[in-house]
Amino acid sequence: MTGTLVRKEFLTNLVSPRFAIGFVLCLVLIPFSLLINISGYRERAAQYRIDRDAAEKAAAEVRVYSTLRPEIVLPPEPLGVFGKGVSDQVGNRVQIMLGDKPLLAAGKTAAGDNPFLASFFSVDFVDIAAIVFSLLALIFSYDAFSREKEDGTLKLQMSNSLSRSTALAGKLLGILLTLLPVIVFSFLVGSLLILFARDISFSAGEWGRIALLFAASLVYLAVFVFLGLLVSTRSKSSVTSLVVCLFLWVVLVFIVPAVSANFAGSFFGAESRDNLDRVLRDVDQQREAAISAAFKAQGVPEGWSCWWCYGDEDGRIETYGNPRDEFEKFRRRASLSEPIRLDFAEKKWAPAKAYIDSLARQARAAERLSFLSPTGLFRAVASALCRTDLASHERHMDRTRQYREAFVRWLRGKDIFASFRWITPSDPSKFKTEDELIEMRTGGEFKTAGEFEAWAAQQKDARARWMKLSQVKVSGDSPDDFPYLDISDMPRFEVRAGGFLFGLGPSALWVGILLVEAVFLFYAGYVAFIRYDVR
Amino acid sequence: MFRTVLRREVLHNLYSLRFLISLTLVIAVFAAGAVSFVRSHASDLEKYRETRGQYLENMRSLAGQGATELAVRRQTFTLKPRSNGFIADAKERYLPNAIVYSAWNVFSFQNRSGSANPFLKKFDELSWTFITALILSFVALLFTFDAVSGEKETKTLALSLSNPLPRGALLGGKFASAVLSVMAIVLAGVLTSLVIVVILGAEGVSATLAGEVLGYLAVAALLAGTFAAFGLLASVVARGSNVSLLLALSFWLAFAVVIPNSSTFLAKGLYPIARSEEVQKNVDAVFDDLNKNAPPGSWMMNSGNPFLPQHELRANLQMKRLQAEKGIRDVYARAMFRQFERTRLLTAVSPVALFEYLTEAVSGGGYLRFRKAWEDMHVYQEQFLAFFKALDAADTGSPHWFNPNENVSTTRKPVAFEKVPQFEERPMPFAARVGPALKYLLINVFVLSAVYFLAFILFIRYDVR
Repeated sequence: MTGTLVRKEFLTNLVSPRFAIGFVLCLVLIPFSLLINISGYRERAAQYRIDRDAAEKAAAEVRVYSTLRPEIVLPPEPLGVFGKGVSDQVGNRVQIMLGDKPLLAAGKTAAGDNPFLASFFSVDFVDIAAIVFSLLALIFSYDAFSREKEDGTLKLQMSNSLSRSTALAGKLLGILLTLLPVIVFSFLVGSLLILFARDISFSAGEWGRIALLFAASLVYLAVFVFLGLLVSTRSKSSVTSLVVCLFLWVVLVFIVPAVSANFAGSFFGAESRDNLDRVLRDVDQQREAAISAAFKAQGVPEGWSCWWCYGDEDGRIETYGNPRDEFEKFRRRASLSEPIRLDFAEKKWAPAKAYIDSLARQARAAERLSFLSPTGLFRAVASALCRTDLASHERHMDRTRQYREAFVRWLRGKDIFASFRWITPSDPSKFKTEDELIEMRTGGEFKTAGEFEAWAAQQKDARARWMKLSQVKVSGDSPDDFPYLDISDMPRFEVRAGGFLFGLGPSALWVGILLVEAVFLFYAGYVAFIRYDVR
Repeated sequence: MFRTVLRREVLHNLYSLRFLISLTLVIAVFAAGAVSFVRSHASDLEKYRETRGQYLENMRSLAGQGATELAVRRQTFTLKPRSNGFIADAKERYLPNAIVYSAWNVFSFQNRSGSANPFLKKFDELSWTFITALILSFVALLFTFDAVSGEKETKTLALSLSNPLPRGALLGGKFASAVLSVMAIVLAGVLTSLVIVVILGAEGVSATLAGEVLGYLAVAALLAGTFAAFGLLASVVARGSNVSLLLALSFWLAFAVVIPNSSTFLAKGLYPIARSEEVQKNVDAVFDDLNKNAPPGSWMMNSGNPFLPQHELRANLQMKRLQAEKGIRDVYARAMFRQFERTRLLTAVSPVALFEYLTEAVSGGGYLRFRKAWEDMHVYQEQFLAFFKALDAADTGSPHWFNPNENVSTTRKPVAFEKVPQFEERPMPFAARVGPALKYLLINVFVLSAVYFLAFILFIRYDVR
């Protein structure tokens, strides 16, 4: 009996115009969203290659340890083609600094080179699925009984020896069977597009995650089918049922997520970035004071001069062609300042962490509030499956912080801060005195620094001093005389994607909630149908 | 006759379930949006005040150190959070909202870090614009999708037309009644929101706000009309109300979801701009070239005596570098503006996108506001530079070698901060709002009339039995 009913429902639905339109809708929207996101992925992959090459080049072309700041470039997530999550809003580059722990990733977002494009929003497969699947579910179930009642066929049907449970089961299975091809088709088209896209390929684990996404979509679909059925059995006419269903759809799919993001924004305030910057600047000043105090305590003289110098933030210093005393001064300064810099990085981390925690809290609040709607749950599950949710990003960032620790351990293991290699590649055994350097540079014209200074003081044009010293090129005077640093033993950052089921713990719970919702709605619909007046 | 139809249709709408539900929903969302706006605006304003205080304090201390110090240091001017953001937020959270300048140049724009939470998926503020664009366009379709096909199913259409009633009047009546019903709902929502914002918020009612509200209502009526026309079209195209509903929903999905969300893709695909890395490379190449051709000793620093000859060499070099970089960066900035504007024009095929651009103009915010501030900043920068040059000319202790990056060879005397001209963002005048909106207005009117005309033609030939 159920079989007959299911067959009847299925065939009626199949020939209905709504099936055709629904199918066309999927046929247009799903490939559209995927093609957009595949092109986005391609662009991000191209950007990734540029960034990675630049980072590798920068790390390779270093001559002293103090300017070595490895940059981690995170590759784009292929699964992001299905669900972008937050991946196109956060950057992909993290530079490892000594004075700071990685806070937020830098680099281009989806807007690319034009920041104005950030004001355009975009959709992905998951968004389209959340919108279209729920719409189709409601469109097919809103008039499940009310229409047949209006046509008078429901009475006829129930006049047979047919239990209500069987009638309901037949109806439900018929609807689900009609929608199944649409969903299967959507996923098939999606998978085909991935298979035929040139520069994107999924591993077995990634295909497994897509299969899980398919399962989650089925649960999501079932929730809306049961919802439509419940509304249908509680409404007097099919028009009423339709209106109620459509409003429920708009509320659940569009309004609840928007309201939850807004309420999270205004009731779970994030800390001010300007304020954090100010606090961090203050800590920086304390650090500079601590460094000066250490210099004073150790008797390192203030001020310095150098022949060839490069200095930058975060204690970067590279110098060439100095007399021995001057090199020694640089070395002592760095050996005192860099451990202090590392200590203060820990101090700076507390307020920085409070700031990103407040950002994460706000984002989580928005997500939790959106769980009021099945769409919110589905989106959260989908972005976790696509490894583009906030938790995945946080895992990446945690790993960059661990990498920084490993990098610092590596530096400390070499006892490098107290070494000349920190500031110069010149061989300490070949350091010269100032007099020797003056003599070499002036081609023997002046024997001592005192002689030269006496001469220089009489020159009107300050440039003369420099011209005179440039007469003879002394080996070791400039970076070009030295090879790049060998950093083959430096720890490498490995991008780890995690296994098939990695990081899906919370999602299991959320799918559980979706299932409970589905069961509850089904039960409510069932009870309502048992008590339904079919006349 | 038209009035009879209109009266009947309006009453029919008013007593319908959809009207009741829409009204409840819209009032609830408008109220939620207003509460949310008041709260987040207060906290945004507080953050802005802190930032602004720092900005002024920093400039005051620079002015105390010396006029040149003030002139060469780069400042970041931040746009104030807009008090009428509840009408249209215009995605300002995601747009550039700060301008970096000095007396010598307007360098760049940026989205101040912290204006949007990168961990929070991009979302629409619950402004009037968003609610109207999403819900009211939907409601307009709901009021019209079965206007013709539904009446045909209930057989009242044939009865109506058996009276001496022109078809145009019937269609017109249905159209006007849908627009009126939607506008009644909008009005209820707008009043709710206004009451909440005025009671809870710090800002009072002003003539400008009244004008903006009226402008918003006019634009909203245009949106309601456009979607009502689409709904009527769906209604006369399909035989059954079932199909016309799906057609109407497809229109809605295409206009409210698909087209606005494909903008980034369209922008990058159709109007590509150079990569920022390439631009940087060009700048570096020009700098290298200038350095190579600079007379020897140009880079020698010795800030003690302003009259050293190398300061003049370096001032010349720095000035050339500034001009060269400015040339390249300004071209790039214009390319960005062009890419953005063209993409907008393209997405204007969607009435929802059109509506967003029009309300942006009405509320004087978003991209239009930024562009105006950007242009004004350039005017201000000229004034600031003229002011600085006058100060320098009056100082006999200065060699007058203008160097845009260093505090060496121009006046070192402090200047009273109160006398320094300040950049203030002026409110958008009426003309600046209407001007850019005109083309969008024109497109919207055209789409509305074309769709309505098409529906009319089809209705004339419609078999009402």
